[in-house]
Amino acid sequence: MPEQSNDYRVVVFGAGGVGKSSLVLRFVKGTFRESYIPTIEDTYRQVISCDKSICTLQITDTTGSHQFPAMQRLSITKGHAFILVYSTTSKQSLEELKPIFEQICLIKGDIESIPIMLVGNKNDEVSAREVESSDGEAMARRWKCAFMETSAKTNHNVKELFQELLNLEKRRTVSLQIDGKKSKQQKRAEKLKGKCVLM
Amino acid sequence: MPAGMKPLEKFLKKQTNALTRAGGFGEKATGTGASRRRASLSRVVPFFRETSPESGPAREVFSPETEEAPCWPSATADIRSPSLSSDEQSSEASLDTNWTPLPADTPDNLALALLESVAGKRYANCTEILLDDFMLTHPIFLAPDKFQQVLLQQFSSEGKQGEGWPGWDGAERKLAVLSVAFRYLDTYRDLLQEEGDRSNTFPKELYLSAVQELSRFPDLVEDVLKLQRWTEILHSPAEEDKESRKKQVRPLFRHFRRIDACLQPREAFRGSDEIFCRVYTPDHSYVTIRSRLSCRVGEILALVKEKLQYSEDQPTQPANLILVAVTSSGEKAVFRPSDEAVFTTLGVNTHLFACEPAELESLIPLPEEIHWSPGDSKLHDMSAEEVANQLVVFDWELFSCVHEVEFVCYVFHGEQARWRPLNLELILQRCSEVQHWVATEILQCQSLPKRIQLLRKFIKIAALCKQQQDLLSFLALVLGLDNPAVSRLRLTWEGLPGKFRKQFQQFESIADPSRNHKSYRDLLASLRAPLIPFTPLLLKDLTFLHESCKTFHGELVNFEKMHKVAEMVRSIRRYRSSQLAMEPEPSPSHLQTKAYVRQLQVIDNQNLLFEMSSKLEPKDM
Repeated sequence: MPEQSNDYRVVVFGAGGVGKSSLVLRFVKGTFRESYIPTIEDTYRQVISCDKSICTLQITDTTGSHQFPAMQRLSITKGHAFILVYSTTSKQSLEELKPIFEQICLIKGDIESIPIMLVGNKNDEVSAREVESSDGEAMARRWKCAFMETSAKTNHNVKELFQELLNLEKRRTVSLQIDGKKSKQQKRAEKLKGKCVLM
Repeated sequence: MPAGMKPLEKFLKKQTNALTRAGGFGEKATGTGASRRRASLSRVVPFFRETSPESGPAREVFSPETEEAPCWPSATADIRSPSLSSDEQSSEASLDTNWTPLPADTPDNLALALLESVAGKRYANCTEILLDDFMLTHPIFLAPDKFQQVLLQQFSSEGKQGEGWPGWDGAERKLAVLSVAFRYLDTYRDLLQEEGDRSNTFPKELYLSAVQELSRFPDLVEDVLKLQRWTEILHSPAEEDKESRKKQVRPLFRHFRRIDACLQPREAFRGSDEIFCRVYTPDHSYVTIRSRLSCRVGEILALVKEKLQYSEDQPTQPANLILVAVTSSGEKAVFRPSDEAVFTTLGVNTHLFACEPAELESLIPLPEEIHWSPGDSKLHDMSAEEVANQLVVFDWELFSCVHEVEFVCYVFHGEQARWRPLNLELILQRCSEVQHWVATEILQCQSLPKRIQLLRKFIKIAALCKQQQDLLSFLALVLGLDNPAVSRLRLTWEGLPGKFRKQFQQFESIADPSRNHKSYRDLLASLRAPLIPFTPLLLKDLTFLHESCKTFHGELVNFEKMHKVAEMVRSIRRYRSSQLAMEPEPSPSHLQTKAYVRQLQVIDNQNLLFEMSSKLEPKDM
């Protein structure tokens, strides 16, 4: 099944109920809902800047259950970048990311050049916190991936999450900004890569 | 769709319109019914490379302006089913020598006439046929609730002599009602179970009435026990069965197919079965919803809106989404919120889109439907025998899943038809799939010698299917080889040994639609059960029958039409009357072939097929 060669595919994994869909929908639609609707598999597309032109950011929101192992394997195979989400209110949900991380390593082989972001969501839930940010950071160090805490509910760090993820991509220049305005961080990154920046 | 299709389709559509205006379907001429059937027709008709409108006498359309009482043509007139070859006609006649068509009457009176016949009071020599006719076709003209009411009333009523029930005694009437009731329950068991508690009161009420009569009519005891069992069957289907059906989501669309499931014998789909389905938005984002097969389009859209977090209190979010089916070549069909059970009506690579009405024009097919990447086919490594075997076995599974009543419901959509012909629609889809599989495999094969080999293989597979009397795959294969994108590959066809070319020409002549598909009908008449008919043609015949005369004239039901419909269904029954010899457990390599046959990946975008064809053999060659 031919994929668009200029798609940039991000896949979001994590246990059920950690807030994967909330993060994605907050980013894509700007909305948030309290009610929980289990996801089977959804994919959202958005135009972003890529190298000197535009491409399509494709975000796949996956199921927290284990109903479709084949579907999971397929999305890993086709994915360019991964977001692994746990909830700061659940130690269990961080544990559940281990087999997913292992799957990614297994299928991708060398994950050094693959942007992976570990995300502790629901950091607005202060009293219910079970996982400290230091624990998340420690896990990220072990896995040699990036780390961030977010809250889809309060819209904390959501856009930053996706922007950072794209910044981690070294194989091409991908950015959310398509009007040419770049963050200082991005300009620095691009200078390092030595790529020409179209306005 | 070849240009020649259009005249035929137009002809059929005109008939539909004329009859809708005349109020010819059921008690209410529902627009839903007519347009739903129109959509089905366009799926049925393209199976034939028609080059001219259907030959044969134009069907008469009765208009409401006809004042005289409907004079139904006599039994031998042109309304006789076109599907009956002259052989079949005479054999039908011999069964029916004593058949006197029931005069047109109201639905209630027909039910009463049936009871009288069962009790041996009237039409005694054709009770079985009358009963079968009634059972198969009554949903067209008599709502289930009403029918059940009639039965209950008749059971309990103590009509006096001379009150329209001359010569009845109480027992006769009750036995007649019970006999018909059991036949009804047997026939509609699955549907009644689907409906749940709504329909469960019927056997229970009848049971209660019967129990009260036991003292006066002790002979009824057997039947009373039977009724009790029926109450249990309908009231609480095995708890575990219910649970497992609830939890299990059945794979319908290819993203959700699982190999283990597809290797299991196919089970009939029911309206209450749940499936996963992707619904796309104009930018090709998608959400996956979980839904009942019988779901209304309005509900599907509600699920989609929920997923996309649409809410009424957000003025910027649109509330009026429409659901659109987009084929792989970009054709679009918009559904109405009241449309039901749409999943099984989609083409092989047709996808559902949800969008705002203004976005309809901008919808384009998914990239995978308009581009293709060459790949190796596994078909080269499989034997024609094994592929043919697996095709036939699968076709039998699919064919066996279709309940007799589905054939009737397919044609007669209306308020009354609560049973959706899901499994029948899946057979049509399979037919299209096999056709396009042939074209896809051949056009994906870059090497000329290998392509010629594929041609040989497909012709051989077709021959084997014909030998095994699977006319569904047989003709689908032939039609696939006749796809213009394939038949234009001059070099490829010229490379075919003469023997195969001759054989294929013979096969093509069977697919020839002229003289009302005479070649095919002759072949069919020469075969004995078990056989699988070419289902699209069967449905076309049923449709013609339906279009050619009205079901209702005012309040009165044209029962002779019902009889003819039932006759067609009985012929299908005969095709399935004996079992296909079951094959032993397949070996591992056979399992591979089995999985392959059941998970075909096809291109059904005719434009793309032409593109691929031009690349293989450019036009100027």
